[in-house]
Amino acid sequence: MATTTSLKISADVEPRQAPWVRWLDLSDRSLAILLLAPAALLLALIIVYPVCRLAYTSFFSLSLTSGLPAEFVGLENYQLMIEDPVFWETTWNTVLITLITVPGALVVGLGLALMANLPFRTQWPVRLSLLIPWALPLSFAGLIFAWFFHSEYGVVNDVLNRVGLPGVIWFNSPNWAFAAICLTIIWKTSSFMALIILAGLQTIPRSLYEAADVDGAGRVRQFFEITLPLLKPSIVVALIFRTITSLQTFDIPYMMTGGGPGTSTATLAMYIHQNTVSFLDLGYGSALAVVMFALSMCVTAVYLRMIRTKE
Amino acid sequence: MNRNIRAAALACATIFSLAAPALADTELKIYISSQHQPNVWRKALDQYEAKTPGVKVTIETGGNTSEAQAQYLNTVMSAKDPSLDVLILDVIRPAQFAAAGWTSDVEGKDLSTYLPAYAEANTVNGKTVALPAFADAQFLYYRKDLLDKYGIQPPKSWDELKTAAKTITDGEKNPDLQGLSFQGKAIEGAVCTFLLPYWSQGKALTANGRLSFDHDAAVKSLALWKSFADEGVAKKNIAEVATDDTRKEFQAGNVVFAVNWSYAWAQSQGPESAVAGKVGVARLPAMAGGVPATCLGGWEWGVSAFSAHQDEAKKLVAYLSSPEVSKFMAINASLLPTYADLYKDGDVTKAAPWFAEALQVVETAKPRPVTPRYNEVSETIRTTVNAVLAGVSTPEEGASQIESRLKRILR
Repeated sequence: MATTTSLKISADVEPRQAPWVRWLDLSDRSLAILLLAPAALLLALIIVYPVCRLAYTSFFSLSLTSGLPAEFVGLENYQLMIEDPVFWETTWNTVLITLITVPGALVVGLGLALMANLPFRTQWPVRLSLLIPWALPLSFAGLIFAWFFHSEYGVVNDVLNRVGLPGVIWFNSPNWAFAAICLTIIWKTSSFMALIILAGLQTIPRSLYEAADVDGAGRVRQFFEITLPLLKPSIVVALIFRTITSLQTFDIPYMMTGGGPGTSTATLAMYIHQNTVSFLDLGYGSALAVVMFALSMCVTAVYLRMIRTKE
Repeated sequence: MNRNIRAAALACATIFSLAAPALADTELKIYISSQHQPNVWRKALDQYEAKTPGVKVTIETGGNTSEAQAQYLNTVMSAKDPSLDVLILDVIRPAQFAAAGWTSDVEGKDLSTYLPAYAEANTVNGKTVALPAFADAQFLYYRKDLLDKYGIQPPKSWDELKTAAKTITDGEKNPDLQGLSFQGKAIEGAVCTFLLPYWSQGKALTANGRLSFDHDAAVKSLALWKSFADEGVAKKNIAEVATDDTRKEFQAGNVVFAVNWSYAWAQSQGPESAVAGKVGVARLPAMAGGVPATCLGGWEWGVSAFSAHQDEAKKLVAYLSSPEVSKFMAINASLLPTYADLYKDGDVTKAAPWFAEALQVVETAKPRPVTPRYNEVSETIRTTVNAVLAGVSTPEEGASQIESRLKRILR
């Protein structure tokens, strides 16, 4: 509405549009399309084309080590995938990591955000310590924690020994290795959650808490009745980001265990990487990647649904 | 006046820019692993630059394990990236690289002057695809001083080694002293770990390109290594130990017996070593009733098919693979020569006295399966070895797993 008015006004008053817009006699709709075109082109180039190419390659048998050209095999790669126990194991590992670390990071992040929101004399050390885990590159975090959990030279076993508990050979056992990886991921991602939740916390007016105090509500009651409900939008946003990226977990297990012992800590992203970069089996790797893409799209769709119904 | 000056300047600039390529040095980039003592190769390359005016060689290092380098090179070569001219390749890779069309053939060199194993490893479909850089095999490093103290001879069988290690560690009463160190981490070296006792029982993994797996021999091999960890001869977290970890721990004086490659010798005699002068090197032991077997290692120089300087790169590779450089690296970096006569050379044996016996070991060393799908074979064996040593799978389960997966890969 406003834009139509301004067009009418511009005919009478000084023209505000760029000369080329007026010259081309563009309507608002055409102008919008034209301005969006570069971004859409970029998106198509970076996302749509590679994904389509990926789906296309997944129907071929293409292995760079065979020296043979690509051969159309239809759904054979997908059939191999269904029969591949490593595929199921890595997918399950990925789902398990998501199920453990997303709620885990949420709880820890919520706690951190609440603590960071307390009235400190100087805010910046708290904010900084929240920021550092998130700012650290994933592979650095993986390497650091691999050393922390080293059975001989690691800090974790050292602390355990000092407290009187026996040290654990973390990377000898699938369960302990998995636990170490989940702990690292929770450490890394809880700061991200905390930052988002902290932003949400700061929008809650203090007057609500003061009113609750007057009414005689305890701190716990205030938390559940005031804080949590008003934090819901931030929590949902944080969960969406975290879940989608959690399906793509690669860096931390790769740096910490390389998927070992055996394939017990390998994730789907690691299996895709192994098939494409190490084995150079591009056909099979593409099929795996298509499945991961489909999984991510499903999760995204579910979350979008959830947001839409809220509004 | 201004116009004339501008025209003259433009003419000069054009002439110089046309002449510049002719005057510029050819820049070659060579890819070497950080594990291969690039500082010593640098000296050999400096000598080449002095001999060959107009060529500058820069070293790019990367990956301190064989499969880490393989991943990097796979990425660079798949992208047909011309940034690398000369590559160092593990002895198991020329077949894969040639099949993928990533290396240019290097013709014109008589391969019969090299050790036969390397002439074979670098020939794919009758073409020479790379030239040998240095030879390698796995040896048994041992503490001469400790063995002498307890009057023990270097063991000829794994059982003898177990007994000797236990005697020494019990006698020394040093909680940090390990009886045996070997590679249990899921690295390329773990494939050799599996194959040593397997080959020692007289079994082969492939015959004529097809799988010829002996299940019982495989179980015995995995069980042997697991028993070292279980009986306290090797440390409990042996599944975390990589090649350089073994070297460092042996060098620090914390290990009695170590399974390692030839490169560890130079550093064990170096200024940072706590055991200089106390180290002996011998053939690896055999299984009871078996033959001594060791794993063939060694690295090759390949020319990238995408290099913009094919001739210069081939000349560099020919130089690096020459007897002079082989001798230089043997003396300065304890890298085993690829020429048989260098093993008895006076200068070489002065630097590494045990090289004289090493020739026989290298000549009888066995190569790992040669196949373009070697990465998958390697992944299968090394992750299973790692799982067995970590206690996640039993030797029985491990052997079955290796068999079923290799059946699929080496159809």
